[in-house]
Amino acid sequence: MNAMDRLRASRPAPAPVEADRDALFDRIVATPPGGPGARPARRRRKLVLVAAVGLAVTLTAGTAVAVSTNLFGWHTDNTFIKDPRVWRTLYRDATQELRLPPGMVWPSRTLPPHTITNRSEPGGMAVAISQTAWECYWTEAIRAGDPRAARSARAALSDLVRHHIVVAPPGSPENVAPPAGTQPPFEIYASDGGIRYVKHSYALAAAGDPSGVAQSCRANRGDLRIPPVR
Amino acid sequence: MNPDQHPPEDPEARFRRVFAHLQPVADYAARRGSPDPEAIAAETMAIAWRRLDRVPVDDPRPWLFVTARNLLMAERRQSSRRSQADRALARPEPEAAVESADPAVTRALRTLSERDREALLLVAWEDLSPARAAEALGISPVAFRVRLLRARRRFARSLAADGLPNTPDVLEVKST
Repeated sequence: MNAMDRLRASRPAPAPVEADRDALFDRIVATPPGGPGARPARRRRKLVLVAAVGLAVTLTAGTAVAVSTNLFGWHTDNTFIKDPRVWRTLYRDATQELRLPPGMVWPSRTLPPHTITNRSEPGGMAVAISQTAWECYWTEAIRAGDPRAARSARAALSDLVRHHIVVAPPGSPENVAPPAGTQPPFEIYASDGGIRYVKHSYALAAAGDPSGVAQSCRANRGDLRIPPVR
Repeated sequence: MNPDQHPPEDPEARFRRVFAHLQPVADYAARRGSPDPEAIAAETMAIAWRRLDRVPVDDPRPWLFVTARNLLMAERRQSSRRSQADRALARPEPEAAVESADPAVTRALRTLSERDREALLLVAWEDLSPARAAEALGISPVAFRVRLLRARRRFARSLAADGLPNTPDVLEVKST
């Protein structure tokens, strides 16, 4: 037996179609046929043309919306950084825009290995460090009865809330970014009432009650070395 | 009406002649490793009905096999998307899995390229003439004959290398 005969002989046995052929036939022909004349070529061309124009309009409008959203509104940020050197540069730039309590130095931070993040994250971390440091400082100032240090902390935190904390719209994804033109560095708060709690605790501290800022200090200070109030 | 002109055939009657090939299409899908050859055949027929003006009625098998092959590839792409491991190894055009009744033949077929294997199987398993097989592959009959000749040689060599008895391949190509 030659190779082709052997190939023919090895053909798998057919498995008879078990479906009800008549029912299948009826079901298929119940749909509109595509035979000659079913849809004239001219009409088909017209449909294709209309679809193409519709697609072009949709794409153009979509692009316009995307561009205007990026320029004028909150948008998703898909520009990631994965190089720790880039991360550290952005962090260092942010620290130059922010203040720390007297005697405190900026802690060393970097991007953990095998990690990516978006470009606003190093600045956001710097804002969070500054905020925690001033909250701790304010707590100590109130407890130490140092009104000058307390005023200094209050002014620094007011400046952070006003210029460096932004609240994302409800339902925003994690990689949301504020409208283009928002001056970095900034920390993005979710729209979950957190900023109201922060402002409330600052109002309490301004009235001499450090409980709110003290709690935030304890929760967030981690390895931060906050110098004693002088 | 001009007596030389035939009235246009009723679409249903025309389709019935195409639909008569449901079993060969299911067999084709089964031989190419489809987990659900009947569904492939049914979908092929549904497409044939929608595009009836493009289906040659004298022998629709090449057209039907091409459509079934496209559906098979879509089926494989879907199943490889479902599998994480397959996704890691995914190729743009997944190859058909072929199982014959003879393990040595199966092994020899697997050594061939997809193009060579399909050329052989269209003739040997699907009983297409070289001209019809050329239609199914979208190439000229001359190109098909060359491809078939080479595929046959490679297959015969591979089968012989498998250590099983084999005689020189002298199959004749029948013309239509």
